[in-house]
Amino acid sequence: MAQCVQSVQEFIQDSFVPMVAVLSSDEAERVSRKNNLSFSELLRPFCKLTSEGHIRDPNNQLQTVKNLRVCVNNLVTSLQTPSASVSPAQYRLLSEVVLSFQPQEGAQTSAVKTGDYSLNLSVTTPWFEAYRDNFLQSMPASDHEFLNHYLACLLVVSSTETVPVEQFLKLSQEQHRIQHSGEYTNPKWFIPNTLKYYVLLHDMSEGDEQRAELVYEDMKQRYGSHGCYLLKINSRTVSPEQDEQIPDPWSQYLLRNSQRNQVRIHIPPPAISSWRLCASVCVCGPGPGLSSSLEVHPLQLDTSSASLQTLTDVHVDLKTGARDSEHPALGSGSYGACLTLNDHDHVRQFVQEFAFRGLLPHVEKNIRQLNDQKRPESLFVHCYQKVVCVGVIFLLFGVRYPPEAPELQIRKMADLCFLVQHYDLAYSCYHTAKKDFLLDQAMLYAAGALEMAAVSAFLQSGAPRPYPSHYMDTAIQTYRDVCRNMVLAERCALLSSEILKSQGKYSEAAALLIKMTSEDSDLRSALLLEQAAHCFINMRNPMVRKFAFHMILAGHRFSKARQTRHALRCYCQAMQVYQDRGWSLAEDHINFTIGRHSFTHGQSEDAVMAFRQILINDSRQTATQQAAFLREYLYVYKSVNGEKKGCLPELPLPYIQSSTTRVFFGHERRLAEGEKQAATHVSLDQEYDQNLSAMWCQLEEQLVSSANRGIVPNNFQPSQSCLNSQTDNLHPPLAVVEEPIIVELSFRNPLKVSLTLSNLSLLWKFTADGTSSPGKTQTGEQITGETITNEEASATQHKNVDFLLSEGQQALSQMTVRGRQDLKIRGPRLNLTKEDKMQVRYGADQRLEPIITPPMPLMEVFFLQFPTALLCGEIKKAHVEFCNVSAVALCGLRVASTHPDFFTFGSQATTPVTPPSSVSAENCSAYKTFATTLQQGSVASEMLVSAEEFSQPSGVMNIPVHGGMLQPGESIQLPLWLRGPDKEGVHEINFLFYYESIEKGPKISHRVLRHTVFICASRSLNVQASAFHSTAPPPHSVDDKGSRGTLVFIDVENVNMSEGGVREFHIVQVSSSSHHWRLHKYITPTKDNDCKLSSRERAKLCFRAQAPPSRSPISLTWTHVCVQIISSSTPCGDFFFRCCNTSTLQQVDVNSRTSGNSRSLYSAPPSGSGTNLTSVTRKCNDLDLNIIVIWKAYVIEDNKQLILEGQLHVALHSFGKEASSLVPKEVRQTLCKASSLCVSSLCLVPVTLTLSNCSVALVDVIIDLRHNSTSSESLEVHGSFSWVGQTQYKLQLGQQEVVSLTLRACFFRAGVYNLNTPRVLARPTEQNSVCETSQQTASPALIIIINSARLQKSNSSDEQLSL
Amino acid sequence: MAVCIAVIAKENYPLFIRSVPTQNELKFHYTVHTSLDVVEEKISAVGKSLGDQRELYLGLLYPTEDYKVYGYVTNSKVKFVIVVDSSNTSLRDNEIRSMFRKLHNSFTDVMCNPFYNPGDPIQSKAFNGIVSGMMVQTG
Repeated sequence: MAQCVQSVQEFIQDSFVPMVAVLSSDEAERVSRKNNLSFSELLRPFCKLTSEGHIRDPNNQLQTVKNLRVCVNNLVTSLQTPSASVSPAQYRLLSEVVLSFQPQEGAQTSAVKTGDYSLNLSVTTPWFEAYRDNFLQSMPASDHEFLNHYLACLLVVSSTETVPVEQFLKLSQEQHRIQHSGEYTNPKWFIPNTLKYYVLLHDMSEGDEQRAELVYEDMKQRYGSHGCYLLKINSRTVSPEQDEQIPDPWSQYLLRNSQRNQVRIHIPPPAISSWRLCASVCVCGPGPGLSSSLEVHPLQLDTSSASLQTLTDVHVDLKTGARDSEHPALGSGSYGACLTLNDHDHVRQFVQEFAFRGLLPHVEKNIRQLNDQKRPESLFVHCYQKVVCVGVIFLLFGVRYPPEAPELQIRKMADLCFLVQHYDLAYSCYHTAKKDFLLDQAMLYAAGALEMAAVSAFLQSGAPRPYPSHYMDTAIQTYRDVCRNMVLAERCALLSSEILKSQGKYSEAAALLIKMTSEDSDLRSALLLEQAAHCFINMRNPMVRKFAFHMILAGHRFSKARQTRHALRCYCQAMQVYQDRGWSLAEDHINFTIGRHSFTHGQSEDAVMAFRQILINDSRQTATQQAAFLREYLYVYKSVNGEKKGCLPELPLPYIQSSTTRVFFGHERRLAEGEKQAATHVSLDQEYDQNLSAMWCQLEEQLVSSANRGIVPNNFQPSQSCLNSQTDNLHPPLAVVEEPIIVELSFRNPLKVSLTLSNLSLLWKFTADGTSSPGKTQTGEQITGETITNEEASATQHKNVDFLLSEGQQALSQMTVRGRQDLKIRGPRLNLTKEDKMQVRYGADQRLEPIITPPMPLMEVFFLQFPTALLCGEIKKAHVEFCNVSAVALCGLRVASTHPDFFTFGSQATTPVTPPSSVSAENCSAYKTFATTLQQGSVASEMLVSAEEFSQPSGVMNIPVHGGMLQPGESIQLPLWLRGPDKEGVHEINFLFYYESIEKGPKISHRVLRHTVFICASRSLNVQASAFHSTAPPPHSVDDKGSRGTLVFIDVENVNMSEGGVREFHIVQVSSSSHHWRLHKYITPTKDNDCKLSSRERAKLCFRAQAPPSRSPISLTWTHVCVQIISSSTPCGDFFFRCCNTSTLQQVDVNSRTSGNSRSLYSAPPSGSGTNLTSVTRKCNDLDLNIIVIWKAYVIEDNKQLILEGQLHVALHSFGKEASSLVPKEVRQTLCKASSLCVSSLCLVPVTLTLSNCSVALVDVIIDLRHNSTSSESLEVHGSFSWVGQTQYKLQLGQQEVVSLTLRACFFRAGVYNLNTPRVLARPTEQNSVCETSQQTASPALIIIINSARLQKSNSSDEQLSL
Repeated sequence: MAVCIAVIAKENYPLFIRSVPTQNELKFHYTVHTSLDVVEEKISAVGKSLGDQRELYLGLLYPTEDYKVYGYVTNSKVKFVIVVDSSNTSLRDNEIRSMFRKLHNSFTDVMCNPFYNPGDPIQSKAFNGIVSGMMVQTG
């Protein structure tokens, strides 16, 4: 239960006070009316006595009476019998009282925190207290109890009366008539001889004071000094000038009326009409004798509403209302205008005098009397009961006693004691009375006694006995179930719950209150449920959910009782518990109700918020329900929207998934134009790929560094033209003036109902920033409006809509609302510092805050005849076109690529100036041929080319544009040679074109354009080359003795897989490029000069290489064999150098990763024997010969024969393939012809193994014949053979020594055998077992054993094996 | 017999609520939600005295005019609530107990599913089947 202003004791004391009636003459009433008050009202503020009174109980004990309050009411008579339920009029009144107390805006709230709930509740419930007070005051007087029967009557006569004493007599007779004639059932009187107190009212302003004193003296003699009083008031004349500030104690007692008047203005029409009815009833009747007029009143609908008269509050209320209309001059607020502070004191003194001198002695006397009566009667109570039983009238529910029944006398005494706060005595009396009533089965009486017994037990000071709550329960039950008197039951419950609450028994109080809710009164149920809810939250372990649930029940009842404001408040409080906890169904229900109530109260904003909440939540509702919610929302939204103009309100639907918003800077690109194919650049269709963007960024960095002479500026930012959630959005993006910005939004419709979006447009704001881009940008700034109509976002779908504007409109059937949705993009969650990790923080995201920069050049790139499929190594010529489509000239055109060896623009010096002709390109060779065919045949031609001619900085190529710049609108076409990648498969090749403005912009230093192509490379030729030292001195070499010449073997295999495509390959030319070597002669195995290879064929080409006489370290010697093509020029040379570049780059990479040890080994001067060795080894093995094989392929495609050309590169860096040997070794097999194999079916072949030490050091050699080589080469040879004789040799080789060993091999079967199985281990003698190097020859030494004793030794390459 | 079966997460949000389709679903949501107060009360009352040897079955939480609400709390503080029609007097405490045990077993199976993300609403067909069984068999 909510907190009350009063304590429980105060509350109960105030609920039961002695009632005093006022009967005044007309003249007296006129006097008091000067103050805008009736006499009873005049007294009301002073009815609470501050001083203590005393009373003697029957045992002559002195009892103090503290804080006694008396209730003074005008005497109103009626014939109405007390009803068992609240009459409609009373109900109306109560409901208005409740209505008038609305929760204030700034009302005191308390934060309740339990578990994970933290609620904000209103602490007090003034509407409930007002209801309770009014309810208790308006209790109809009942026969079974005397508490609200009149105990005394004030007879008031004015001193201006001609004969006041006569008037007193008249009034006294009137009172007697009312009490004893039996005409009126109401009011009821406590005791037959009611205390009459005579009051002479003297108006100081008009009456004669002396005369009044005389009359008073007369009265004293007549009625005794304690039975009369002279009250002097109205010391002041009313004048508007004298506006002294005199405290107005009345207003707080009468304030409610004026409040109610104000409230009434707001209540809806039906309520107003009921009020009017009420008012018209009341206006006609202040004063006695009105009951009859009421009963015939034409507007009177319900006769029982005559009980209105008993409601003093109504009475007052009506009178003030009537008076207001009578005296419009007097404001309703100016009470007691004629009273000075002295008069106030007079009144106070009067009330005190009356209470202590008149009332209390009267009560004391009566208690004593009753006590005396009680004693003898209680002696023969049993026999009496039998006798008097006849006198007990049985009524419908139980028993009704005649007024003078002894049981009632006890009750009467108890009530008297209770009223004068003698609770001990009261309790014992109640207890006795209860027993008596129960014996008689007088249930109503018994319940009343029980109730009061419990209350007085509670109020006993010092609490000698615990509060008997079961008394209360029984009483309530009896009232409700036996007597069917809900009013009494309710009173009892209110008292009991209040007491329980004060004792901390909240759950009992709540149970009591909930039990009292019923169908017959919504208002009561609502209030009690609310109080029960407060009980739950005030429990030691607060029951939050019960609180919320009962709040909702209360809200429901409030709304049924038309107390929508209270209903709204209840729902709002309950909402705090249900909010965001997954109870979506309940949440939706509450929100919906809140929305409806808010809307009816004109709080459309709140209504919109509530409905919005329903839609935003992930709803579990059905589609129809959702549609209903949506309709309701749209209706409310529309009505709110209709009121306001200007900024559009926000729409909750559809969801904008703001993090997936993508922003694209750049204009719509032409994708293809005829044969031209535009650079792919960036588009919204592309998915973001972290690796890709890193790659582009790296490329851009290369470009920027090459543009800035190798330095990457500190403020380098990779240019991003499409921003999404994964890109770096910390810096505002840069957009160029007059170029469009495309925003892609992703909408999601969470409902099961489809939404129609139409007329979407993007709202934007432009702030001119003086520092960055003054003035200029604004002029060019234009965002064209593009509207998307009727974009249907069907149920629970994701939809991406690209649009330039965003201002939404939602339509559902006929309902269309217009609203806005803000784009708020939150950056990624920060997770770097400790604070970031502990809290949830998000970074900035400036995707949507572009900075507009001055105009920049804009380039488009088109490709012509760009192939999609190439053979490995195929050379193709294409063209590329650069267009400057902007109004600014561009320069510094560069390109970087992930595959710089894929394409070339040709070197500056050797670029053939041929216009691109698309027609003849098919059969036109990409190569440049010699004008005159030189000597055909085996003799090579030589050409010296400087490497620098082709040198390019790594990866980045300057594009040779004429003049270095492109003027606005200008376009240029350049030839582009492409070479198929060496590896088969699909290759993604990325180009990044770089250009910059002629005038350096402050914001954007450069711009880039991306292009991605996919090239499908298919296999063409497999070229393997190996070089071996030739043992025999070359016949031509005369002058160079140091080098003995080298044999170069080139294995070419057609590995093309396509069946029909490529018919055959021709090896057109073999070129070499080296600093030290040149291809000398082509040793033709066949006479055919042109080497043809059809599918899966293989050929071996053999060349002899020689060191040229003069060695220039700078320039490369180009030698050509089968010369037709100038391989040293573009494009052949370009590609060759590209390949070399990339491969050396890779090598450098590898080297840099290895430790410095190996480096120092190489760089140390050849001084010691160890290092000497290595240098010797290196010298022996270094070859550095690059072979270029140029081929032609004949391809049939669409019944047309095409000739494709290509080139393959092989780099020979050292002799053989594995170049790690310490000791070079030559194995020489002497060819032997085996004799008779057929005789013994064994064939013994002598084999000579020649070991030669090329180094200057001593070498230990171990030859192990038993070693089984498991290399793949030996497995190729089927069958096995064994070495016979000695199988292991240990030798030492001296300087440059050559040793021959004769071995014997034994063959069992015919076949081809590899004799190269012995393992030869060698190490320098000085280095003890540090490195025994295995000398395994790579190339096999083959021997063919033929069955028919004819032995043929076929060694495919040579007899020499060189490592 | 059961007219509503609910599984409530430790943090007191519903993992699963199903009620007899003929009746107002919202009402059961409110009933179940309110019953959590009683559940918590019972847990706090019992938990201290008996330590970990706690009886999972909480018994009748509270009766309303039309329904009886029974509660059950697993050791991980997941709550099961079964609402039963008051008119059904044939239902014994033992039967309610066995219903809860069945429910618990099925819930454990749901939890064992590696694809179930703890804390998500239960959408398991098997679980749903068990629940329907309890609602159908009972009426």
